[in-house]
Amino acid sequence: MQSESKTPLVALRGIWKVFESVTVLRGIDFEIYPGQVHALLGGNGSGKSTIVKIISGAYKPTAGAVEVGGVPVALGKPSEAHAKGIYMVPQEPHIFPNLTVLENLTMGLAGERAENARRAEKLAAEIGLEVDFSAPGGELSIANQQLVEIVRGLLRNAHVLILDEPTSSLTRREVASLAAEVKHLTAQGIGILFISHRLNEVLEMSDRVSVLRDGHFVLSRPASELTADQLVEAMLPEDFTPPAADAKTSCKVAGAAPVLEVKGLSGRAFRDVNFEVYPGEVVGISGVVGSGRTEFAEAIFGIDTEATGEVIIAGKTAPERSPQICQQMGLSYVPEDRHAHGIFLALPSAQTISSGLMSLPGARFMSEAEEHKLANGFIDRLRIKLSSPMQSAKTLSGGNQQKIVLAKTLAPAPRVVILDEPTRGIDARARQDVYRIIRELTADGVGVVVISSEVGEIAEVSDRVLIMKRGRLGALPEGITAVEQISAATFDAKGGAGA
Amino acid sequence: MMRLLKSRELLVLILLVGMIFAVATQNHAVLRPLTLINIVNSSLFLMLIAVGQMFVVQTRGIDVSVGAIAGLSAVIFGFALNAGLPLPLAMLCALATGAAAGAVNAVGVVFVGIPPIIMTLGTLGAYRGFMRVLTGGSWIESIPQSIKSFAVTRYLHVPLMVWAVAVLVIVVAVLLWRVRAARNFYAVGDNADGAYLLGINVKATRFAAFTLSGLFAGAAAIVFVGQIGFVPMQTGNGQELKAIAAVVLGGVSLMGGTGTVWSAVIGALFLTAVDSMMIFLHVPGSWNNAVAGAVLLGIVVFDYLIRRTVHNRQLAARAAEMRRAEADQERASSATKTREMAS
Repeated sequence: MQSESKTPLVALRGIWKVFESVTVLRGIDFEIYPGQVHALLGGNGSGKSTIVKIISGAYKPTAGAVEVGGVPVALGKPSEAHAKGIYMVPQEPHIFPNLTVLENLTMGLAGERAENARRAEKLAAEIGLEVDFSAPGGELSIANQQLVEIVRGLLRNAHVLILDEPTSSLTRREVASLAAEVKHLTAQGIGILFISHRLNEVLEMSDRVSVLRDGHFVLSRPASELTADQLVEAMLPEDFTPPAADAKTSCKVAGAAPVLEVKGLSGRAFRDVNFEVYPGEVVGISGVVGSGRTEFAEAIFGIDTEATGEVIIAGKTAPERSPQICQQMGLSYVPEDRHAHGIFLALPSAQTISSGLMSLPGARFMSEAEEHKLANGFIDRLRIKLSSPMQSAKTLSGGNQQKIVLAKTLAPAPRVVILDEPTRGIDARARQDVYRIIRELTADGVGVVVISSEVGEIAEVSDRVLIMKRGRLGALPEGITAVEQISAATFDAKGGAGA
Repeated sequence: MMRLLKSRELLVLILLVGMIFAVATQNHAVLRPLTLINIVNSSLFLMLIAVGQMFVVQTRGIDVSVGAIAGLSAVIFGFALNAGLPLPLAMLCALATGAAAGAVNAVGVVFVGIPPIIMTLGTLGAYRGFMRVLTGGSWIESIPQSIKSFAVTRYLHVPLMVWAVAVLVIVVAVLLWRVRAARNFYAVGDNADGAYLLGINVKATRFAAFTLSGLFAGAAAIVFVGQIGFVPMQTGNGQELKAIAAVVLGGVSLMGGTGTVWSAVIGALFLTAVDSMMIFLHVPGSWNNAVAGAVLLGIVVFDYLIRRTVHNRQLAARAAEMRRAEADQERASSATKTREMAS
């Protein structure tokens, strides 16, 4: 299917990318050949999305060259990449919900309208997009939305299609038909850059696999020579040393009743989730993007009220779920996206911290002195770097912002805490502080649930590991917290520990 | 049936006709052709600024300065006529004033990045103030009364002005339908990131929307002065909210991406008709705003309920589809296992 002697459709030559003193890519060489499916793998922060953004024209490289058909080009914005035949199909397709399917396909195209419509219908038929072209785009299924994006690319005569996590929200049957479409496209000489967390799909669908870690490639070989286990190993952090078994002492209180029990919780993106958390225990939930991990955390905390099932907090069944009831019963939640949901950027930090108490019954008034006392307590305990409790969070680093969110969450003295991606976007030092805070909480008998897509993090903090995959939650055998096994189970590798 | 109900223009049109017939049972005078023509005639001003507003709301903005722009354009129009400029040239002055005032909003919103509501609230005050400065606070009278000939001359019993606006609306509708760039308004309002990624010039589209809004307010000023023959200081006062209400009523979502010219036209007709119906029912005029507001709320809530039902059905269908697919998979794998065990 591929022949490496040809000129690559797209080539990156010695690409470096530096963001405000943080080096994300260190001398990347990467090619996509006609008819080739080249998979790009890597954990969070490995630089994967930066490569995609450089190829698709959203970022300019700090150093190095992008070549299209052997000629160096400067891609300033997405439309310039389109003009060069490169089209990115984003993980979340960009659909115009109120425009018709036909308009969704042809929007932004130059040329005769009737001719565009004719081509769109022809390409859609070829690719298997069988829908009413006059229906609004908002009625398309996710699978068809992706096909709309692919047809958009083909209408622009794309030679290179970038598929970013195309399978993360598809059913197995839809994945199989997507694989068939990809074969159909490569047979016509189109090159595909394929990004996925699902290693089996990567091995089945691609010709070549490259693994990115800390901004450079650690592995790049034909898919036929690779196994899923090799890929898992390549993705692991280099400096990762599994903590010695005796160094990690669980603070799990023997014989105590669970602080959190979830029974048969089902919702839109997950179903029949069962687990319990005991006092002093850290339960790690590992799951890739789109596995349903955030959706189910939000359901437990009562943000998504449509989920069905039972949630028992500190021995009492929640009568109905809402964030307020959960907090009153002793469950707190730190959301994944702190800017959107976790922090009040403009308020003085002391007020953000004390806002954690607002949902509790009783005290409705708080003096400024009390508020500062509360805030100062947390500032010392969590080692938050602040000039004063009145400083607003806007001016703080990501790590300190996250600590303020933690302080807000801990202010009502919860019995159990759910932390969703607690170290996303914060530096290594702050990350260690967060892990220390988690340990200190368990020493106080608090139950902690850590949800993360970083297997290294799950391995480091968890006493017990659960795997979230395609909306189902499974447990690893008791006592297994080794990063290899977690990775294998999370990334769906063959031969790994089953979930 | 669902799709037909989802066409808000049709829904409001049916309600409008229904309302007129309902009132006719109480007072036959409503159905006289002259009455109906008068309703259309008095809706022209609102209709034009609503058509302009439609472009802005469609691109997910809002323009609360249109009333002030209409007032300012009317003042310039009055000055131009009093200075002895020929009518076409004076009209051009009014339109240019409107477009320029709209372009100022556009610069603030698109290039400086001020939220539309703040920017246009600011210019609402500024344009009203400017209007006062120009006139010294007094009305512009003594305008050549030949200007009223448009409003007074009738063709087939219908004022020339109504014909002119009808032609304008049809031209705009055809342009929106035929010209490719016009679809950009929908795309930008529906999904601005998606539009950018597809190579649509999002900034230019939003700039055009605010400028058009000003331009149509200028056109509305011409209609206004033509109909009453002088320029009071209150010209356009409070009309910005009525224009927003009209387009929302007619089906332009405040979230952008929906609606047509007919939304603005029918919305404006409906709001004007409500006022007239009050007269025929001998309800004191002080009730007008309350009734119009209640009608607007009623229609918007009804529309929201329909949309939510449709949306929930789609989500449920998707969940069922996922479940079915998984069940099939499990059945298939258990069948293979049974076969393996048998062999």
